[in-house]
Amino acid sequence: MDPAHAPGVYTGGANVVAVLILLAEFGMLRQALVRDQIRLYAAQAGLISVLAVIVGAVHHLPELYVLAALSAALKVVVIPLVLRRLLREDGPAGPPVDVGDIAGSGGLGLAATVLLAIAVAAFGFFAAGRIPVPGSGAPATALSVSVSVVLVAFVLMIHRRDVISQAIGLFSLENGISLAALVVAASLPLILEVALLFDLLVAVIVFGLLIRIHHGRAESLSTTDLTSLRG
Amino acid sequence: MSVSLPIPVIQALQVVTIVAAAPGVSGVIARAEARLQGRRGPRIFQPYYDLAKLFRKEALAPEGASWFFLAAPLAAFTCYLTVPLLIPVLTSYPLPLGYMGDILGGGFILSLASFCVAVAALETGSPYAQLGASRAKTFAAITEPVVLFVVFTVALLTGTDLPYALAATVRSSAGQIIRPAHLLAAAALFMVILYETGRIPVETHTGTNEFGMIEEARLFEHSGPYFALLKWGSAAKQLILYTIFVNVFVAPWGLAASQQAGAVALAIAALIVKVALLGTVIAVIDNSFAKLRLFKITEFAAAAFLLAVLGVFTLYLGGG
Repeated sequence: MDPAHAPGVYTGGANVVAVLILLAEFGMLRQALVRDQIRLYAAQAGLISVLAVIVGAVHHLPELYVLAALSAALKVVVIPLVLRRLLREDGPAGPPVDVGDIAGSGGLGLAATVLLAIAVAAFGFFAAGRIPVPGSGAPATALSVSVSVVLVAFVLMIHRRDVISQAIGLFSLENGISLAALVVAASLPLILEVALLFDLLVAVIVFGLLIRIHHGRAESLSTTDLTSLRG
Repeated sequence: MSVSLPIPVIQALQVVTIVAAAPGVSGVIARAEARLQGRRGPRIFQPYYDLAKLFRKEALAPEGASWFFLAAPLAAFTCYLTVPLLIPVLTSYPLPLGYMGDILGGGFILSLASFCVAVAALETGSPYAQLGASRAKTFAAITEPVVLFVVFTVALLTGTDLPYALAATVRSSAGQIIRPAHLLAAAALFMVILYETGRIPVETHTGTNEFGMIEEARLFEHSGPYFALLKWGSAAKQLILYTIFVNVFVAPWGLAASQQAGAVALAIAALIVKVALLGTVIAVIDNSFAKLRLFKITEFAAAAFLLAVLGVFTLYLGGG
């Protein structure tokens, strides 16, 4: 490896944003409060919009600006708002949901979880690093990062036992996929991307309803209560 | 003003600068911290007066402590005098003794110093000093992997692990600065420095008698000139770590490129300004976060480890 080789400012900058997206995912994994988790999700989505703008500016893909704006409006503003509204104590319907500390809902200790997630992220990194990408969009390292984001989101969904973390894990998994899309198919037709974004909105509504119904039935947000249904 | 300094003089000046400026840096941080809390705070030169006072006091040793109890402060201070020879304090070109050891070598010498202090603390029989020594060693073992991965990143970036080489690489182009590996390694190193210097997410720096104490508790039984040496040594260690962070990772600019006396003097001034800025940032961190519970320190170390490992991953894929 050439020691003095630097990737260049654009590639380096894009990679830094991609790595920040992964760090936001790790942040969600560590986060103990629902509010902060939602905030981190919004930040992660904002970073994806920033990356889309960077890629669009460098590769002259003006439709990426539209995508960045739409995705920011939806994922940074609307979805966090909807989530907070669904979880607010004087919600539109049903009993108030107590959104507080969800720190204890993990199956493992925090440091152990982070180490496990590092191992999983490493697998994602090296598995995706082998794939040759005819890149037209963001640099290829971002693809590895996006696979890691998806896998760490899985860890988040698997090891947390509260419904909200699982929902956030699913939404941030979609963020990872958006990141991969920026690498593989930056010039994907806009209408497809918009359709995907609205799919996400539907998922948010469905998940929000599930959270409320589960809370109404089990009086808690933890999925461990569901095991009592077993025969 | 074109007086050319001989190389050995510059080499010695590196050590003198670190040792002489170290208490001042602690003073700047204490002052900045007090200002941020709305207090007037102590004078910047207060640590020098403290040291002068301690040097005039009598030295006592606990009953039953062996000769090592009194030798340890000297040994530790000697270690802190050695490390500035290895790192770029004043010059951008490597000085002859800079090749004595790489980053790992410097790390070993710093660990040796901390080992001596810990053994001396065990000599005392005082539960507080022993508690501090035991804690310091436990958590040092946890932060060690982070340092190793930072060194791996440096090695992958430069092909060597000499601090001078990384500083030169960082100076060479903007692309070397905004690559994720470099930023992640610098962030991880910063977290390790917060731990090593006993700053707020890990330990309260100004506390006296407290259950959360780690580094500070080890010095409880020392007194007089020996205590002064230990205090001075820990200030020097802090300045050494800040210098590594600033002059190798974050801002390796303003170093002397020649042997001109003027350039070297400018480098000393630049170092002090950069380190004072870093100290102010650390004072802000001190005032904005709460101290972590003792058993949460592993989580702090896990976060630093995450950053360092991701740095190596991104590099390994060739894109970092």
